[in-house]
Amino acid sequence: MKDSCSSVSKLLEKYFDHEVTEKERSLVEDHILDCETCQDGLSLMGRLREAIKNPIREAEEEESFPWVWEKIERGIRLQEKPNYWESFRSWVSISPLFKKKVWVPAMAAIAILILVTAPLLFKKTTSYSSPSVVEYVESQTYNVMVYESEKGKVTVIWLFEGPEKESPPS
Amino acid sequence: MKKAALSFILVLILILFYTPMSLAQVQTRLRVIQASNVGSSIDPSLKDLHGQLGSLFSFTSYRLLRDEFLSLSPNRPAQIPVHKERALEITLIGQHREISELRVKIKREGMDILNTQVRLYPGRTVLIGGPKHGEGVVILALSARF
Repeated sequence: MKDSCSSVSKLLEKYFDHEVTEKERSLVEDHILDCETCQDGLSLMGRLREAIKNPIREAEEEESFPWVWEKIERGIRLQEKPNYWESFRSWVSISPLFKKKVWVPAMAAIAILILVTAPLLFKKTTSYSSPSVVEYVESQTYNVMVYESEKGKVTVIWLFEGPEKESPPS
Repeated sequence: MKKAALSFILVLILILFYTPMSLAQVQTRLRVIQASNVGSSIDPSLKDLHGQLGSLFSFTSYRLLRDEFLSLSPNRPAQIPVHKERALEITLIGQHREISELRVKIKREGMDILNTQVRLYPGRTVLIGGPKHGEGVVILALSARF
């Protein structure tokens, strides 16, 4: 019995881990039926495994792994994020427009336009200090009258034109 | 791709060039009125000027001959035929906030019979009258739209 027990006990661990052959399995099972020592050894192995597994399972349940992954992913993203200059450079390198080097004439055209339009945009405007509506009026042929009313918001310029067929007065 | 790039540049040039031009334009309303003492009717479309015309002139009849909205660009004269050989030439020569400065010329047979420079303020009308028209005279009513 002792010899048999010592030979089976070597297989017990393999049996417990389901790593034995069919022949070894039947040998162990036949022996276990009559051997309390090996039965105890097998149950001890079971209890040991449970004793190791349970705390790990509990720890798994308590720890929020999705949150941990989120944190890790965020960290990865932060490390990977390029700065603005790098983003611009990558955009330039992927833009077919800039690959063709058309930006040189485009920038030149824009610069010319700015130079042409800037004097128009920033042209010094005349300041009107006088509220007068008529700046000047002249007629080399007829008399002219100017009437400005403040209340009626109307200004009249009247040309005293002579008869149509008549030659203008000198 | 080359065509697309060229089109892009052209569009950019047009946008940049058109923007300051469109900003500089001034909308001016020109009404050509025939005033006479034949009959006693006032054109219903002149009701906003009715009071001014009645208080300033002694004509009994006012008829609207033309009502135009002109888009004036700086230093680009706009020619409007008024009657027979007479024509009106309006040029925008300056703009300051809501005041636009115009040079107005009345020409007869190509010769300037009136040359004036006026400022159009918001809500103010400039009446230029006197040139003969049929049995009466022509009055030009100028006002700016801002």
